[in-house]
Amino acid sequence: MTCTVALAQINPTCGDLESNVKLHVDQIEQALEARADLIVFPELSLTGYTLKDQTLQLMRPAGSPEFAALRKLSNHIAICAGFVEEGEDGIPYNSAFFMDGGDVVHVHRKMYLPTHGMFEELKFFGRGRELSVFDTRFGRTGIVICRDLFHPLEVSTMAALGTELLLAPSAMPARGFEGEQLAIERTVSLALGSASTFLGMFVVYVNRVGFDDGLGFYGGSALSDPVGGVTVSAPHFEPVLLLGRIDSSHVARQRYQLPIRREEDLAIVRHALDAGRNP
Amino acid sequence: MKPGALMLNNALVYDYLKHFIREELHTSGFTEASIAVSGGLDSALVLRLTVDALGPDHVHALFLPYSASSDESVQDAHAMFDFCGIPWQELDISAMADAYLAVQPGIDRLRTGNLLARLRMAVIFDQSKKENALVMGTSNKSELLVGYSTWYGDMACAIMPIGDLYKTQVRSLASEIGLPPQIISKPPSADLWAGQTDEEEIGISYETLDQVLYLLADQRLSPAEAAAEGFELELVQRIEHKIQTSQFKRVAPPVAKLSQRTVGIDFLYPRDWRR
Repeated sequence: MTCTVALAQINPTCGDLESNVKLHVDQIEQALEARADLIVFPELSLTGYTLKDQTLQLMRPAGSPEFAALRKLSNHIAICAGFVEEGEDGIPYNSAFFMDGGDVVHVHRKMYLPTHGMFEELKFFGRGRELSVFDTRFGRTGIVICRDLFHPLEVSTMAALGTELLLAPSAMPARGFEGEQLAIERTVSLALGSASTFLGMFVVYVNRVGFDDGLGFYGGSALSDPVGGVTVSAPHFEPVLLLGRIDSSHVARQRYQLPIRREEDLAIVRHALDAGRNP
Repeated sequence: MKPGALMLNNALVYDYLKHFIREELHTSGFTEASIAVSGGLDSALVLRLTVDALGPDHVHALFLPYSASSDESVQDAHAMFDFCGIPWQELDISAMADAYLAVQPGIDRLRTGNLLARLRMAVIFDQSKKENALVMGTSNKSELLVGYSTWYGDMACAIMPIGDLYKTQVRSLASEIGLPPQIISKPPSADLWAGQTDEEEIGISYETLDQVLYLLADQRLSPAEAAAEGFELELVQRIEHKIQTSQFKRVAPPVAKLSQRTVGIDFLYPRDWRR
């Protein structure tokens, strides 16, 4: 199976749901014209990132009427976008939905909410507690939001559960301007390389651009292919819509070439965790 | 300390800061920027960045000399305006300043310096209102960290494009984008009196200061750990003391909390709050 994925590296307007929905519709229409099968937006793409106390006003259930235009468009293209989810428990979550065939197929709640230094997510959001692995027409799919991607245990577990396509919407601020690449970019490259090379997954990393109160999101969205490495990468700082090809046969090919997955023995991990709990 | 630890990818920084200026302005609903140019390096660099980000037609540059300003400052400010190819305006603050100074016999140099910085602030903010522009800040990271700047004077501004660049990094970026060499190489000075230089007043060269600041602030080392990188402990402690005693300049004034929701404490919105 081959498909085309669109990476929507956008600059959402902080706190303006309506204009962001319009921006999404515009990007989706462009992706449709380019015959894309799937479009992925950044973290909190429908609300903006540095919301603080706007979080309360902006939270919506995934089925909100304000997302109706997106659900309708998902009859023609699968859509992964970020929003503040109003949980059934009344708690706001930093979430991403996956829409396809006119419906919300899955919602992932960010598990690891950075709250240190410049980050203050746990001040405003509840914590997601479940890995997101679900079946789509693109194969077994997983979603990690930004910091989730930096947790190798969870990403490895998702691979162990059969994930072939990992969607990674992000809002990573630029920092570390010493080298050719930004320091944060090198960190992301490690995560992408490890997921694709060792775990044999496609990773669609979509980072936003623009500034929130001095934090500059660097863009640099990328498609990481288990066989080809990074096949598509977006420029710094500029909004762009990029297309990449996903050939699902690459998953099997890489897992045959470097059979980490075949070698994996989760019993060893289980035993070690059990032994660690009861020394 | 690793040589070159403070070296940056100047091309990337330049690109990033242009985006920062453009987007921070536009987010706040502005298209115009005002900037007070002193003849020194920091304001020269911010002027160039702002012109490159917004285009010359959107930058309102002012030169605000006082009678004691050096001839060199005048020449260098003019050189920068020529270099950027933009129109500019000169407003001499001597009459304003002298009217107050005349009724303050015995005023010392520090108070005079602060007064001039605050008068320039008043003028640039008034001019920015006239032009419907935002005031560009020209503080660098070295002076922000040690507090070598006037509170509500030269620190007052809408945005600070070079506030995370140490003075030595400012020099490096300025060279990279080709600012006039005489502006880059001259000793940094607040130009408050004849022959004044920053380094003499702070008592440390910027090369040393920036390395110690980098170890204390960026690398989170203790003074003893920083000293072990090749600096005198007494010097490191003096710098740490400057950082600590100037903290009040870097934060908004505390509000006495009474209610459930207090401005500055838990009334939390981004500065770029659009709606």
